[in-house]
Amino acid sequence: MRHFPGSSSKAQANRKSVQHRPQMRPPTPKAMREMSVIAQDPSVRTADRKRIVMSKVTLPAEILSNGPRGYRVHVIDYDSTTELYHGAYELPLEYGSEPEAWHLGDLSITDDYRFHAQNVYALVMKTLSRFEFALGRRIGWSFESHQLNVAPHAMVDANAFYSPADQGLVFGYFFDVNGKPVYSCLSHDVVVHETTHALVDALREKYMMPSSPDQAAFHEGYSDVIAILSVLSQPELIEELLCAEDKIAQKKRTLAPEKVEIVKLQESALLKLAEQMGEEMRGVRGEALRHSVRIAPNPDILKSPEFAEPHRRGEVFSAAVLSAFVHVWHERIVGVEQGDGLGTLGDGRYSLRRVAEEGAAVADYLITMLIRGLDYMPPIHVIFGDVLSAILTADIEIRPDDSRYHLRERLIERFAEYGIQPTSDRKDHPGIWRSVESGELSYARVRFDSMRSDPDEVFRFLWENRVALKLSEEAYTRVLSVRPCVRIGNDGFTLRETVAEYYQVARLTLDELSGHKIKVPSGLTELLKGIDPDRSNSDPGDDTAQDDHPAPVGSDEADLKTIELYGGGTLIFDEYGRLKYHISNDVLNRKRQSRRLVDLFHFGFFRAQKGKAGISMSKQSISAIHRLRSLGGTRKAGEGW
Amino acid sequence: MKNAPKSVTIRSYQVGFGDCFLLQFHYASSVRNVLIDFGTTGIPDSLQTTPSVHMPRVAEKIAEHCGKDVAKGTKGKLHAIVATHRHKDHISGFATDGSNGGSGKTIKDLNPDVIVQPWTEDPSAAEEATHARETVRETAKRVVKVQTDLLAMHAVAAAAVKYAKRELQKKGSTAMSVRTLKKLQFIGEDNVSNLSAVKNLIDMGGRPGATAIYANYGSVSGLEAVLPGVKITVLGPPTLEQTDRISTMRSRDAIEFWHLLSGPLQSPQLLPLAHGMLREKAMGRVKLGINLLTLPSQVRWFARRLASLRSAQILEIVTSLDEQMNNTSLILLFEFGGRKLLFPGDAQLENWRYALQEVGKESKKNVALVSDIDLYKVGHHGSLNATPKKMLWEKLTRRNAPGGARLRTILSTMPGKHMGKVGGGGEVPRKPLLKALKDETVLFSTDNLRKSAKPEDTQLFQEVILDA
Repeated sequence: MRHFPGSSSKAQANRKSVQHRPQMRPPTPKAMREMSVIAQDPSVRTADRKRIVMSKVTLPAEILSNGPRGYRVHVIDYDSTTELYHGAYELPLEYGSEPEAWHLGDLSITDDYRFHAQNVYALVMKTLSRFEFALGRRIGWSFESHQLNVAPHAMVDANAFYSPADQGLVFGYFFDVNGKPVYSCLSHDVVVHETTHALVDALREKYMMPSSPDQAAFHEGYSDVIAILSVLSQPELIEELLCAEDKIAQKKRTLAPEKVEIVKLQESALLKLAEQMGEEMRGVRGEALRHSVRIAPNPDILKSPEFAEPHRRGEVFSAAVLSAFVHVWHERIVGVEQGDGLGTLGDGRYSLRRVAEEGAAVADYLITMLIRGLDYMPPIHVIFGDVLSAILTADIEIRPDDSRYHLRERLIERFAEYGIQPTSDRKDHPGIWRSVESGELSYARVRFDSMRSDPDEVFRFLWENRVALKLSEEAYTRVLSVRPCVRIGNDGFTLRETVAEYYQVARLTLDELSGHKIKVPSGLTELLKGIDPDRSNSDPGDDTAQDDHPAPVGSDEADLKTIELYGGGTLIFDEYGRLKYHISNDVLNRKRQSRRLVDLFHFGFFRAQKGKAGISMSKQSISAIHRLRSLGGTRKAGEGW
Repeated sequence: MKNAPKSVTIRSYQVGFGDCFLLQFHYASSVRNVLIDFGTTGIPDSLQTTPSVHMPRVAEKIAEHCGKDVAKGTKGKLHAIVATHRHKDHISGFATDGSNGGSGKTIKDLNPDVIVQPWTEDPSAAEEATHARETVRETAKRVVKVQTDLLAMHAVAAAAVKYAKRELQKKGSTAMSVRTLKKLQFIGEDNVSNLSAVKNLIDMGGRPGATAIYANYGSVSGLEAVLPGVKITVLGPPTLEQTDRISTMRSRDAIEFWHLLSGPLQSPQLLPLAHGMLREKAMGRVKLGINLLTLPSQVRWFARRLASLRSAQILEIVTSLDEQMNNTSLILLFEFGGRKLLFPGDAQLENWRYALQEVGKESKKNVALVSDIDLYKVGHHGSLNATPKKMLWEKLTRRNAPGGARLRTILSTMPGKHMGKVGGGGEVPRKPLLKALKDETVLFSTDNLRKSAKPEDTQLFQEVILDA
């Protein structure tokens, strides 16, 4: 039988008006508010299977217009398959006025579109606020609008994706074998995954560009792991997972000591979560969690062809982080030294709630670490080793003492097991980026105040110090962003920094590349030699799908015979305006750029334009990457025409 | 070998965008005829005709080449048919329901003795899945699962065709350009079920005295029985069990994907990809049609973007689907008298990769086996990914060889009909590949056959002869 969404009586009772007037309410003095969301997805139920496991999230309070439409998110419930506009929803003013069904996890909420709207709004805002808290500043989207569009029922499709060109998140829906609709907007991990794509794009816009296999894998792997840890940061859900198949635990609310061993935690929390995640949703999210947990540690794993595929490679990144999560969680329960750990109750068992809370706390802190790491990553051509060094450095800056969690230690160990070594080779502080030698830099002609917000002032600093900072003068240089931030550590420690990014572009001929000892694959050389500048005004491409926007390298004759190289750096200034870290990828780095050209050429990113007027570099959208992942597809390394 | 062919004539027929080849093996005192594919998704405009008129003409020409002569009262004989995979452009000509003018009837009358199809088409799997002994039953169940996947893919394709047709009927549709909608319709139609053709292939295989073979990598082809002195190697497609053996974690996701998009197969008329959920005005929802102006102004821009995105998504879905179905193609290597002929249907990288890369020492042997082929049927009408460049093309030793030793290539294609996969290059045939074929091989392309509105002036086939 086909079920009609929103048609149940409970769903109708929960529905409010669809008008578009802003709500005339007095401003609320509260800074934060709470909202009900589905803890994972509608298939994760309480032990009696009668209710969906729910969770309460805390997020910034605001006066919402109908939609809901807030200061950063606009939920637009338009369905492009049916061409139906479902209307704008007025959300309950506070947690206490939500319908009881939302609190209880009544099955009717899967048909309640007003609840769907709250679920996506709350999870997007929660994710945004996590990022803003961790980074200590507001984060704008990568596009010009302040408000991210979110379509909870965008179209029939087993896909959900972030689309920067459309300034929004698109959640598809589809039908299970019984004809019942399955909504991707109700899956916690899917919503957080897509929001993370949007936030990474906002903070590192060049990471969407074709680069190394690691960079392609990073967007997916990072979004996966933030999404999974976000789900695991809900103690209510961990509690349900830990006692799902343990009758004694369900009854006594305690756990036997053997249940908190590393392998058992992996099985009961991570794999159980993977199993319980809606089977139907596999077409949307793939099996990231299941795959990641099952990838056995192997230092050579990233060298195998199977893990050259971006989505598989991203799963290795997730595997390393999740392995660190489980190890730290275990240590927090049983303790590393005498007197550490939670301690057992009188019967020698652990409190279920405390074990769950500890897991949620570790997941929560790991998310914060991962987010803070973003500021310490190079703006372009990131590799996993950079990511690890960035996470470690960002963490040591705000939390020098790691003796409580040993998180940095475990991350280094676990990443090493998957063949990922930090890029920084420092011995005194393993994996931490090297500080800048302050004596070599000149601050005489720059203004301290302007350096905290003005890209031109930061550029002046760069230019003044171009020799010390080894800035290539052959390249075009642009400061992308200057972001002052105030980070607050768990212990109340405040860290003030300014983070600036610049990027460089060098357009070089084959001779110039050769002069810099940058190797160009022979096929790319042939492609470049075949360019006909006389055809430069011809139609640049075919009428192709939206995922296939060719980006012409240039239209001037001089540009047609060149290859673009990209580089750049991240500058971290302390609160006195002194440069602490310069994390850069030299635009003329012989080794990395040679490697990148080989990777890009073999993965088919360079193509002659129609009429051979130049070379195009195609890029893949998040949508296409997800589709490829769902279908277990492969990219054609060096095999295409 | 005493009873071996002295030569082979390979005829490529004009079927527009499709494949149709007759391999005629000449023995000392007889000939043996093998038809590889017979389908079309588009006839060249310059022929000014339709498939239902043109395909029977081709069928009659094939029958004639197989010895049919009404005046002499000879019926003609086809010894074997190979249907590489179920795409319309490979099997539509076998339909007997009139969709192609009943051309399948003409072929059926040639009484083929062996019908070879990929393992995915085995109709006995459903029976075995229920009744066979355990080990066979498990395998059969997986085949049945793949077959239901294929049905789901057909349903998705049908929905896409319906969508494209509806959009094309709209005036001033903003969702997608007319050209792209036509491409969507074209790819969709290629993937829609060809029930009549499928049934005829099963019927021909079930004729008393005939044999139906469902082949996979490493299996016997069944053609040996009708082609003495010819060695046939099946290089693809691999079965699920075979791919399972070499993959640490090949995605199960793909297996479910098409079902999610097709909706319940018991209700194919719903085609959710085309219609979505039923509309409910009672819920205060606004039925918009294409008039986005009825929306509140603050949501119009995004709604328009969603409409456009949806079209792009459907195109992405259908091109992915097209590629997956191509990967069920048979890849056959014929060897006789020191000659080698390679016919890969529309196999894509994943299919090729199994034989040429993923089975260890066997792969090395397979690469060596195909490296000195004399004739190559260009995969998938010359598309971007069907002739793997490094894995296959660069290994072919007869490219650029002098004189008669040079590699022959046959290409059945029609430019301007098919766009490439999402994220890949566009046109079919792909220009860089076409250039390589022209520069490095002796190319025979059906696109070069003379075309005319007058049937008598239209060149229906071309032939290549290879002596032992």
